[in-house]
Formats: sequence, C-alpha cells, structure tokens
Amino acid sequence: MPGADKNTDLSERIEAFLADLKRGGTGAGPLRGSAETARETTALLRRITAQARWSSAGDLMEIIRKEGRRMTAAQPSETTVGNMVRRVLKIIREEYARSRGSSEETDQQESLHKLLTSGGLSEENFRQHFPTLKANVIEAINELLTELEGTTYNIAMQALEHIHSNEVIMTIGRSRTVEDFLKDAARKRKFHVIVAECAPFCQGHKMATSLSQAEIETTVIPDAAIFAVMSRVNKVIIGTQTVLANGGLRAVNGTHTLALAAKHHSTPLIVCAPMFKLSPQFPNEEDTFHKFVSPHEVLPFTEGEILSKVNVHCPVFDYVPPELITLFISNIGGNAPSYIYRLMSELYHPEDHEL
Amino acid sequence: MNEQELVEYFRTQMGKDPDMASAVAAIRTLLEFLKRDQGETLFGLRESLTSATDCLTGVDSSVAVSSAGELFLRFISLTSLEHQDLSQCKKVMEERGELFLQKISMSRAKVAKLCHTFIKDGAKILTHSYSRVVLRVLEKAAAEKKRFSVYVTESQPDAAGELMAAALRKLDVPVTVVLDAAVGAVVEKVDLVIVGAEGVVESGGIINKIGTYQMAVCSKAHNKLFYVVAESFKFVRLYPLNQQDVPDKFKYKADTLRSSQSLSEEHPVIDYTPPSLITLLFTDLGVLTPSAVSDELIKLYL
Repeated sequence: MPGADKNTDLSERIEAFLADLKRGGTGAGPLRGSAETARETTALLRRITAQARWSSAGDLMEIIRKEGRRMTAAQPSETTVGNMVRRVLKIIREEYARSRGSSEETDQQESLHKLLTSGGLSEENFRQHFPTLKANVIEAINELLTELEGTTYNIAMQALEHIHSNEVIMTIGRSRTVEDFLKDAARKRKFHVIVAECAPFCQGHKMATSLSQAEIETTVIPDAAIFAVMSRVNKVIIGTQTVLANGGLRAVNGTHTLALAAKHHSTPLIVCAPMFKLSPQFPNEEDTFHKFVSPHEVLPFTEGEILSKVNVHCPVFDYVPPELITLFISNIGGNAPSYIYRLMSELYHPEDHEL
Repeated sequence: MNEQELVEYFRTQMGKDPDMASAVAAIRTLLEFLKRDQGETLFGLRESLTSATDCLTGVDSSVAVSSAGELFLRFISLTSLEHQDLSQCKKVMEERGELFLQKISMSRAKVAKLCHTFIKDGAKILTHSYSRVVLRVLEKAAAEKKRFSVYVTESQPDAAGELMAAALRKLDVPVTVVLDAAVGAVVEKVDLVIVGAEGVVESGGIINKIGTYQMAVCSKAHNKLFYVVAESFKFVRLYPLNQQDVPDKFKYKADTLRSSQSLSEEHPVIDYTPPSLITLLFTDLGVLTPSAVSDELIKLYL
C-alpha cells in the first residue's frame, strides 16, 4: 500500500536524521555546520507535514512537537534543531489564525493589555479543519527554507559597514559565518586578522588557512596570548553556537576569555549570528548547558602515570554574559543584546518554549 | 459607596485572605465600588474612581495599591472605548473585571512555575524581608524535591524577616535570619538572590522594602545572580532616576504622612533598585530582562 510505504519511508528518514545527530555531536568539532542542521531539520519537518496523517492544526502541532522532543533529546547541545521546530510551530499557529480570519497576526503574546481587554479565557485548541492549511503551511516552510539559505549572504553583505581599511580584527576558532563575513569585506578593503587557535580542537588553524587563501593577512596566536595582543586590536568579531534569551552566548570555549579581554580594553565585540541560532533558553535554567567530550584532546591517554592522579575535563562551550557584547549582526540587521527579547517574541510563541 | 464603606470593604478584603496581595484587594474594592456606583456619565465615573483610589492610598500608601488603581482606571478607559452606552459599558466592565481578577489570582502560580527551575539543587539563596511571591516560588522548588538553604534578612523596622523564616521552617527548609547590616558579609556565601517587589517601574527597576538596594549593590559587587519575582499588575508608570525621585507618598507609611511634622526626620520604608543591578524578572507574562519591562508598559498605556 502506498500509504504504508510513505509512512515507513518517513520514519526511516527520521531515524536516520536522529542517528546522524547523535553521531555528529561527539568531538568532530564543536561548531558543526549549524546551517546544514537547520536546513535538514526544516526539510524533514516539511516532509512530516506533507506525509504524516493529520486532520487539524492541533494534530499536526502534536506530531511535530513529539518529533521535536525526540530530536532535541538525541543531541541536547544542538539547539538549532529545537529552534527550527519552534519556528515551524509558530508558522502553523499563524497560518491557522489567518485561515480563521482572525486578526491575531500581531499580538499572540501575553501582555498587560491582553489581560485587561480580553473577553474570555480564550483557549485556542486548534481543532478546526481547513483544507488549505496544509498547502499554506508547506508554502510558509518553503519561505523559511529560502530565508535559511540566504542567511550567510545577508550577514556577509553588512561586512563593509563594520570593517574599515587597515583595521586589526580578532576572532577565535572557526565560524563559517565569520569566514564569509571577513572574505566579503576583503574584496574591497585591506585589513589584518588575528585568529586565536582555540585549543584543544584548534579549529583556528583551519580558519587561518581559509582566510589566507582569500588573500587576507592572517596571524595565528595561542589562546594564552589573547590578552597580550588585545591592546593592538580594533574589533573582535566572533561566531557562536547559540544566542540565549537574555542576550548571552553559548560559544566555543575560550570565548569568555576573549570577551573579558575585549571589555578590559574597551574593544567592541561583534557577534555574527543568524536568526536560527536564537534560542528561548536562559543560561541558568537547566543542567544541559555544558557538554563535555573525551579529555584525550587535553591530556592524551599515553601520559600514563599522571592520569590516575588528576581529573581531566574537556568542556566544549563557554557562557558569555550579555554585558560583554556590543552588537549582534544577524540576517535581519544589527541589534543590541538588550533587544534580543523582542526578536525572540517575534520568532517564537511563548507556549512553545518548552516543547 | 462613601469613603467609610470603601475603607471598610478594603480592610475586610485584606483581613479575609492574608495571602492576597494588597493590589488585588484594592482592585476588588474598586470593582465593588463600580458595581454600586450610581453615576450617569463616564467622566463622573472616572472622577469618582480617582477619588476612591486616593482614599485607598490614604489607608495603604504602598506603590502596589496606587498601581492597581491606575491599572483599573486604564481598564475602564479601554473598555469604554468599545461601548459608548454607559449601562452596557458597565455590564461589560463588571464581567471583564471578574475575569481579570480570576486571571491575576493565578499569576503567583505562573511565576512560581517559571522561577523554580532556576533554583538548582544545593543552592544557597538570599532573600529580603517577607514576600509571598518568593515564598510561593520556594514552596514550589521544595515540592520538586530540590534541596536548598535560605538566608533571610531581619528587615527592620517591622522584623518581617522573622515571618518569612517561620514560614520557611514549616516547609522544612534550613533557614538563617541575618541582620540587615550583615548582607555584605553574607553575600559571598550565597549562589543567588531572589527578592519580591512592591512595584516594577518603567525602566525595569523595582521598588521594594528598604534594604533591597543594598542587597542588589552587594550582589553585583560579588557577581551573584539577582532575581526579582513580581506579578504583572505591579508594573507602574514611574521612572525614578535615583532614590530621591521616588515620590514621598510611597516612601512613608500612610499614618506617618498624615501625622508627622517634618518628613526628613522619618525613616523611608522603601527604596529603588535600578535595572542595571537586576539579572532577570520573573512575571506571569514570562521571564523578562529589565529592558523588556518598558515594552510591556508601553503596550498597555500607549
């Protein structure tokens, strides 16, 4: 039966994606193509919308929420997966509201105003069936995919406003977004880049190679030299793994050091982060903030004697508080960290914060 | 409903449920006033409500009562924009008023649900004076089987901290009462500071029992997290820039304002904590950064 085949095909794809997520997170390098993960997640959610059996928006949201929970459980540190699920849930809510004809497009959030003026305990249960809902949702998801594809380009386009000639820029580790940002500016300006190698994975080396191939003058420094060199730096531009709801970052380890050094020297810290990295989590909320990988990168197993006497940790992420950040550059423009709450309310619905 | 009946009703409401916030009691009283009002015009209604609010602030001069009055007035204005006929308008107002009261009675539970996840197992918490919202949050955390210990300041001049300590001991939470002057010395031992608020101002700062500002400055100096828990009806349209900017009518108790010769010899009962010292605010509208508070107020009042 074609129906059963489609279903098994769909569940096979989901299982393959989950297995890939589980594998991909272990030590292959912390910032592993978040953009690809976001794109794959969205494509998978579109497939679920198209092929799964559902009759009302409520059913679809339940299915997507269930799959979303499984995906986030597979790799809790990969927050882009959860973010895309929440985006799609918001899309479904909006399309449902539009089909119902209610002008709820603007304010779905709780607010004092709503408390005072609402006529009743409006419990939307999304049970009504609309035949055009499926097509609308799929179209909206396609728009989301187009937006995802354009993010790096949109961010790189803003490079010339921020990077001036003969400037010294510092960055840490390897971020594809920052790479494209700097390469775009290099087409018209000459500047110097200092890359902190970001031990123990030393992704900074790859970044430096790639930048120098684009004819940018690059220097690699060890992480311990960050403070020493900072006095000569004009700007610090970094990428991040996640942007948290208070405007803070969860970035590769060593970023907090870089941020503190920049603050001390009053050097602006610019974070290049596309919108899909924005996550509605707060830093002290859960215990899954940190991820630790095998410590053999720090202290190899061959160092036999010392191993029994010390504890070795290899954390992957760092928390950077919002006070240390000057500007966020995303595909929709530049924003201050104190404005992140507003962007969050536009992207996600508060009931979806917990899947 | 004349002044005396108003004050009587307010006092009965406060007495009936000691757990209820004074702002909720004020809104209940104003709603009752609305029901019994015989006025024919909207303007007359607004005027009588304003004088009723003034009367209530004469009984309890806290920021919360004043903000409740303003919120109610705003509620009247918003509803009257939709219905031109006064009697129909009044019916709608009464219905919506009841709904509003129902919703805000659930706000403390919402705040507790949001905040308790931020309390980690083994945490040491510092709090100030007696706040029913903080108590609710700690109750919820204790119910989730989290182990934590609490330091409470004595909070003179009314020793409200002792009340808080007694309530916490009933929950089997290890609690230590410290002197108000000991805050600076204690802050290095704790992991986070949670306080309630009598009012949340437009800038995202708070107005709370005297001693809160001190606690906030000390916790900033030691880089400790400073959380504020407050219901959304406490948002008030004030924008103080320093301690002096807070109006005198809030700083002193109603009796003191009436009877004292010179206010400069009285001790203020509240202080203002600026938003730069606050990490996060937990309200029934969600977890907010201080910069998000003004957004909420703008949505309501403009």
